[in-house]
Amino acid sequence: MKNFRYIGKETSRPDAPDKAAGKAHYIHDLQRPGMLYGKIKFSDHPHARIKHIDTSKAERLSGVRAVITANNSPEVRFGFLRDNFALKKDKVRQYRDELAAVAAIDPDIAEEAIELIKVEYEPLPGLFSPHEAMKKGSPLIHETDSQGRPRTDNLVPLQYHHESGNLSAGKRAAKYMAQGEFSTPRVQQCCMGTAGCLAEFDMNSNLTIWAKTQIPFLAQRDFNRALSDMGLNDKNTRVIVPALGGGFGTGLDTHAYEYIAILLAFQTGRPVKIVYTRDEEFAYFSPRQSSTTKITQGCGQDGKLTFREVEVVQDNGAYTSWGATYPSVMMMPATSLYRVPSVYFNAQLVYTNNTYCQAMRGYGNPEHTWALESNMDELAGEAGIDPYDFRMINCNKPKETTPMGLKVSTCGLKECLQTVAKKLDWKKKSKKGKCRGKGMASLIHVGGGGRIYRSDASGLILKLDDFGNVNAYHGGVEMGQGLHSVLTLGIAEALGVRPEKVFINPLDTSTCPWDVGTHASRGAFMACNTAILAANKLRDRIFELSEELFPQEVEKNLEKFIKKNPGYKPPDFDFIKAAKRERFDLKDGSIFIKDAPREPWLSLDLGRLLRAIHFRTQGQMLATEVFYDPPNELPDFAKGFGNISSTYAYGTQGAEVEVDTETGEVKILRMVAAHDVGKVLNPPALKGQIYGALAQGIGYALYEELQSEKGKILNPNFRDYKIPTAQEMDFPVDLEFIETNDSFGPFGAKGVAEPGLVPTAPAIANAIYDAIGIRIRDLPITQEKILAALKKLKEAND
Amino acid sequence: MRRFDYFRPKSLKEALELKKTIAGAKFISGGTDLIVQIKNRELKPSALISLRFIPELATIEINGGARIGALVTISDILQHPELGHNYPVLTEAAKSLGSVQIRNVATIGGNLCNCSPCADMALPLLVLEAKVRLQSAKASREVPISKFFKGPGESCLASNEILTDILLNPPHNKAKATFLKKGRVKVDLAIASLALLLEMEGGICRKARIAAGSVAPIPLRLSKVETLLEGAAVSEDLVSKAQHLARETVSPITDVRATEKYRRQIVGVYVKRGLEKILGQSLA
Ligand SMILES: Cc1cc2nc3c(=O)[nH]c(=O)nc-3n(C[C@H](O)[C@H](O)[C@H](O)COP(=O)(O)OP(=O)(O)OC[C@H]3O[C@@H](n4cnc5c(N)ncnc54)[C@H](O)[C@@H]3O)c2cc1C
Repeated sequence: MKNFRYIGKETSRPDAPDKAAGKAHYIHDLQRPGMLYGKIKFSDHPHARIKHIDTSKAERLSGVRAVITANNSPEVRFGFLRDNFALKKDKVRQYRDELAAVAAIDPDIAEEAIELIKVEYEPLPGLFSPHEAMKKGSPLIHETDSQGRPRTDNLVPLQYHHESGNLSAGKRAAKYMAQGEFSTPRVQQCCMGTAGCLAEFDMNSNLTIWAKTQIPFLAQRDFNRALSDMGLNDKNTRVIVPALGGGFGTGLDTHAYEYIAILLAFQTGRPVKIVYTRDEEFAYFSPRQSSTTKITQGCGQDGKLTFREVEVVQDNGAYTSWGATYPSVMMMPATSLYRVPSVYFNAQLVYTNNTYCQAMRGYGNPEHTWALESNMDELAGEAGIDPYDFRMINCNKPKETTPMGLKVSTCGLKECLQTVAKKLDWKKKSKKGKCRGKGMASLIHVGGGGRIYRSDASGLILKLDDFGNVNAYHGGVEMGQGLHSVLTLGIAEALGVRPEKVFINPLDTSTCPWDVGTHASRGAFMACNTAILAANKLRDRIFELSEELFPQEVEKNLEKFIKKNPGYKPPDFDFIKAAKRERFDLKDGSIFIKDAPREPWLSLDLGRLLRAIHFRTQGQMLATEVFYDPPNELPDFAKGFGNISSTYAYGTQGAEVEVDTETGEVKILRMVAAHDVGKVLNPPALKGQIYGALAQGIGYALYEELQSEKGKILNPNFRDYKIPTAQEMDFPVDLEFIETNDSFGPFGAKGVAEPGLVPTAPAIANAIYDAIGIRIRDLPITQEKILAALKKLKEAND
Repeated sequence: MRRFDYFRPKSLKEALELKKTIAGAKFISGGTDLIVQIKNRELKPSALISLRFIPELATIEINGGARIGALVTISDILQHPELGHNYPVLTEAAKSLGSVQIRNVATIGGNLCNCSPCADMALPLLVLEAKVRLQSAKASREVPISKFFKGPGESCLASNEILTDILLNPPHNKAKATFLKKGRVKVDLAIASLALLLEMEGGICRKARIAAGSVAPIPLRLSKVETLLEGAAVSEDLVSKAQHLARETVSPITDVRATEKYRRQIVGVYVKRGLEKILGQSLA
C-alpha cells in the first residue's frame, strides 16, 4: 500500500474555525442594498379549486412592494416531471401549495401582509393514502400531465422494475420462507440552516441567486428555463452557494420558493430574500418519502437464499421531485445485498394530497434496507440459523457481478460482518432477565458516483500563484459534510504541497466547472479523483518547465550558499544533466531531483520556481482544468439493469439494546459500526460522518415521524418532532473502517456520506426482537408501539 | 413577530403600576413559554413587563422551611446546596426540565404561572404542600399550591397580581419523596410524570402525597390513591390496587405526543416505581 503524506492523517477542517466563530456567511446572514423580504401565502386546504384570491388589503399595507399570484405573474412550471407551478392557478393539491407571495421592506410587514390575503376555495375530496389513491375511480389529483394530455389515474408515470433468474424455481427451491410488510414514515431532514435564497437581477435582466442547493449547475439550467418562461429569453442565471447549514438531500431539487423569489425580484427590480422559519420548514418543505415494502425471501436447507420478491408502494405526495427516483436506489440492495439468484422487484409511486416529498440521505436505501434486513432476520429465524451465520452464508464477494449488473470491484462486507460480530460479542447471549438483545444489519451503497443523470461528471480548475498557493475551483457543494477538507487533502497529497497552501474558492457557477451535484455519496470520490487528474497535469507542466529553470535557480542558491559557508565543497552531482522531467519530484511544496544528494541549496520552493516561470520574457502563469466522468452507466430502470456506480460501499452495524417492558422504552447500550470505506481520507471527518449518520439513523428507528392528518402536518416544530440529542447518544459507539483500497477510488477511497444511516434502523429492530420477541414493522419503533405489541403478545399467550 | 413595548421595572410596585395602566400587557420572566406563544400567535400582548430586574424576586431563603422567589431560575435551584439537600425531589424535577440552556433562563414562577398540565416544578411543590404568595398593588395573599391551578393556562392569579414567592414547610425527617417523568426523548415535555411523597412508620404508610402531570387539565393530586395508601401496609397487592386506581383517576387526552391509553399506563407504572424507589424494594 502507498505511503501517504496527508491522506489518512488527522487534519483539521479549513472551514471549521470560521464556522465555530460564527463568521461563516449563510443565506440567513446575507444582505444586499435595497433588499426586500419575501413571504409566501400557503393553501388552507389539501385539495380544492381556487375560486378567488383577494390581495387588495395586502397591497395597501405600507411597506409592501409587490404582491404576486398566478393571475398577475408569468407562469413558471418546474419539477422532476414538470408537474408543479411556482404559484397555483386553478387548484391546490396539498396544504403547502403556494397561492400568493409578497415582498416587503421588512419581514414583519411581509408576514402581516400574508395574513391579509384571503382566498376562497371550493374544497375537493382528498386522497391521503397511496392505496386509496391507486383505486380505480379515485378522484384525480392531476387531471392532465405536463404536456396537457388527460390523465386517467393517480399513478406517477415512472417505471422501476427488475426481474432476474427464475423466480418460480427459486420459490420451489426454498425450504424456508419469510414474508413481511414494512413501512417507513415521512421524516424531515432537519438541517440546522432552514431553506432560503436571495435573488437579484442586474439591469441586463441577468439573474444572480444565492441558493441553498446541492445542484448549482442543474439549478442554473432550471432557473434559466424559468427566465425564458418569464419572457427573458437568452438570459443567464449565476448561482452562488454560500455556507450551508446542512443539505441531506433538500438541495437536490429547485423549489417553488426560489422561483417565487425570482418572480418578486423581477417584479420589484430589487433583491429579494426568502428564508423559511423552522415552522415553515417543517410544514411547507419536502420531507423523505414514505413507503411500504412487501418482501418475501426464501432459502434452502443450507441457508442460501433462493429468491427475493419485493413490491414497493411509495407515497409521492402532490408533486414530483427527484425523490421519485428512490426506487432506482432501492433496486440496488433489492438485487445486490447478499447473493440471491432470482429477484423480482417492482415499485409504484402514487400521487396523494399529502405534502410532496424529496430526497434525503440514503435516497431509498434506508427504506429498503429496513425491510430487507428485518426480513433477513425473520428468515434466519424460520430456518433456525443464527442471523450472523445466515448473513455470512449469503455474503457478497469481491469481483462479482450482481443480478442488477452491478460490477463489484472490492467488497469488504465479510470483514464488516466479522468485525461487528466480534466487537458485539455476538455469540455471547445478552444478560438474561434484563430484556436485552443484540441485532445487526448490513448495507450496500453506491461508492463511486451514482449515474442517475446523463452525466455523472465533475470538474476542477487549479490556479497557481506567485507564492506557491493553489486556488481551487470546484463544482461540489460544501454543506457541512467536510467536502472542502477532503478536497484540500486530495490536492495537497496529489500535487505535493502543504494543505495550508490550498484554498477552495466559493462555489459560483460563473467561475467553477460543472458538476452534476453533491448527492449519491459522490462528493469526496469525485473531488479527489479530479484532484489527482489536475495535480498530475500540473506536475507534468511544472517538471517540464523545471528542466530549464531549476538548474538556473539552483545555481544562484549554490553561489549564495558558498558565500555563507566559505570552504563548502559541493558533492559531485551534475544537476544540470540530472534536470530531466522524469527525475523531478514535488513534495510539501518543494521541488527536487529524486536521486540528488539532500543538500539545502539543491531544492526549490514551488513559489520561487513559479516566479521564475512568470517573471521572464514570455513568462507564464500555471493553471489547469480537468473534467472527470466516472466509469459507470445510466441504468435502464424499467429493466432494472445497469452498473450505476463505479464501485460500491458496504457496511454492517450492530446494536445491543435493553427494553423496558413496562414503558416500552428502548435504551441503546452500545453500537458497533464497521464500514468498507475503501480508504480513510481524513479520520475525524469520517468519524463525524458516521456518528452523525448514526444519530439520524436512530432518530429514524425510534423517534422521528412527520405526523399528519388529512394532509396537514401536526408536529411542525422541534417541540413535537423529536430528534435524538446528545442525551440519546449516551452509549459507546465503536467504529471500525475496513480499507479495501479500491482501484477506482481516489487514493483507494469510496463514498461514505450516506451509508452510516442505512442499516441503523433494522439493526436496532433486530436487537429489539432478540430482546423481547417483538417485531415492529412500521417505523419509528416508538415506546407506545412496543408496549401495545407486548400487551397483544401477552393476551395471545394468556 | 409582532411588535410590542418592553418595560424593565426595578420594583414590584412599579411593575404592578405599569400592569394596571397598560391594557394588554403581560409579565415576562424567562420568556421560555411566553415568547413561544407570541411567535405562534397564540398571544398578542401590547407590552411586556419584565420581572427580571426586581432583585427581591430572585432570592432563595432557608428559614427552617424555605422561601423561593418566583424569578429563581431552574438552574439556581439546582445549584443551591441546602435547597437540594432539604428537598431532593425539587432537584429531581428541576433536572428533568428542558435543557441546560432552558434551565438557565426558565424560572420557577413562570413554570407555575404558565399553568401547563405538564409543568414539571408543580409536582414536587404539590407533594410538598407548598404555598404561593400572590401580590397585588393593594394586598398580598397566600394560596396553597393545590388551589392554584384552574385549567390549562388558567390559575387563581388575578391579572393585577404577581406571583412573588413559593413557601415550603420545614422538611419532615421521616418523609421521602421522588419524581418520575416520561418523555419521547430526554429533553421533552412530560407525556406523563409523577411525584410521590411517603412517610412510613413501622411498615405502615402514615402519609402519602401523589401528584401527576400531563394526565389531566391541571397538575393533579391523586387524593384517592393517597387515601388508599395511608394507614395501610404497603404490599404488592396494595400497590397493584394503587396502580389501578391511579389509572382510573386520571383523565388524559390523546395528542401528537402520546395517546390517552399510554399516559394512563405510565401513571400506573410510575405509582409502583415511585413506591419501589422510596421503599427500596421491588413490588412487582
Ligand atoms: C425547549 C424548551 C423546553 C422546555 N422543557 C420544559 C420541561 O421539560 N418541563 C417544563 O415544565 N417546562 C418546559 N418548558 C417550558 C418553560 O421553559 C417552563 O415552563 C419555564 O419554567 C417557564 O418559565 P419562564 O420564566 O420562562 O416563564 P415566562 O415564559 O416568562 O412566563 C410564563 C407565563 O407566566 C407568566 N408569569 C411569569 N412569571 C410570573 C410571575 N412571577 N407572576 C405572574 N405571572 C408570571 C407570564 O406572563 C407568562 O404567561 C420548555 C420550554 C422550552 C422552550
